[in-house]
Amino acid sequence: MFSLDTGRLHAETYRFIEQVRNHYKISIDVLSPDKDALEKFVREKGLYSFYQDGHKECCGIRKVVPLRNKLATLDAWITGQRKDQSPGTRADVPVVEKDMAFSTADHVLIKFNPLSYWSSAQVWQYIRENDVPFNELHNRGFISIGCEPCTRPVLPNQHEREGRWWWEEATMKECGLHAGNLQQKAG
Amino acid sequence: MQISMVKKIKADGSPCRKCQEVEDRLKAAGLTDRIDKVIIADERDPESEGMNLAALHKVDRAPFFIVEEEGKAPRIYTIYMRFLKEVLNTEVSEEEQLRDILDAAPDIDYI
Repeated sequence: MFSLDTGRLHAETYRFIEQVRNHYKISIDVLSPDKDALEKFVREKGLYSFYQDGHKECCGIRKVVPLRNKLATLDAWITGQRKDQSPGTRADVPVVEKDMAFSTADHVLIKFNPLSYWSSAQVWQYIRENDVPFNELHNRGFISIGCEPCTRPVLPNQHEREGRWWWEEATMKECGLHAGNLQQKAG
Repeated sequence: MQISMVKKIKADGSPCRKCQEVEDRLKAAGLTDRIDKVIIADERDPESEGMNLAALHKVDRAPFFIVEEEGKAPRIYTIYMRFLKEVLNTEVSEEEQLRDILDAAPDIDYI
């Protein structure tokens, strides 16, 4: 099991990682960003450049590179991604898929998303019934939790993604190929 | 080798932002003539060739590239920088590659 430590997580999230480690008595690889790349980035752009330049450069260094390096050593990985977490894009989240983002010409990576068809309510029901540890930030209105500067609680009836990078425009949606059409074709 | 680029036309008839950006980058790099065919995935027409190909290859983002070689299964590239590096053998910066990964697979943001 591994987790990504961007260096900017909430204290609550670090405590949660420890809680999981102790509860399940498992070891967790906590992956850090490349020191040299991060120092260069912070030296040149400062600690809050994402509020001006967008979050992708920072996420790329703090999250994507460590994830890519780890996945290059694996044949498959398991995520907790669900279909209902992607508003607007209508993107499908298959239970099993070839990971198009991290497979290369020489290395096919398989991605399992076993919770794809679970709703948020089902997840919470399972958590309560089975005493599964959860991040204490959920008790304070946080739903989708990432780095501290880029995460905020949401109001009732706001989608969980509205608590992430709220200062950016949601332009990424426009390049999705509508799943409705794709499913129609695939069927 | 046959290289096809599938790009999306939005419901209002305009190209999607990323498709336009990728086309501009291909042009600026002088690589346009390496693309043998440009195929349209028209949001207004679910029967368009690009929509069919997206369904066939289980791709849900545009643009994407199909690389076909005789006797081999087609290779699909949804990340432009990886396509540049692995197919067109072009040097790409780490920063550009990471940005493209996040553009092509926005759900990684939430991992």
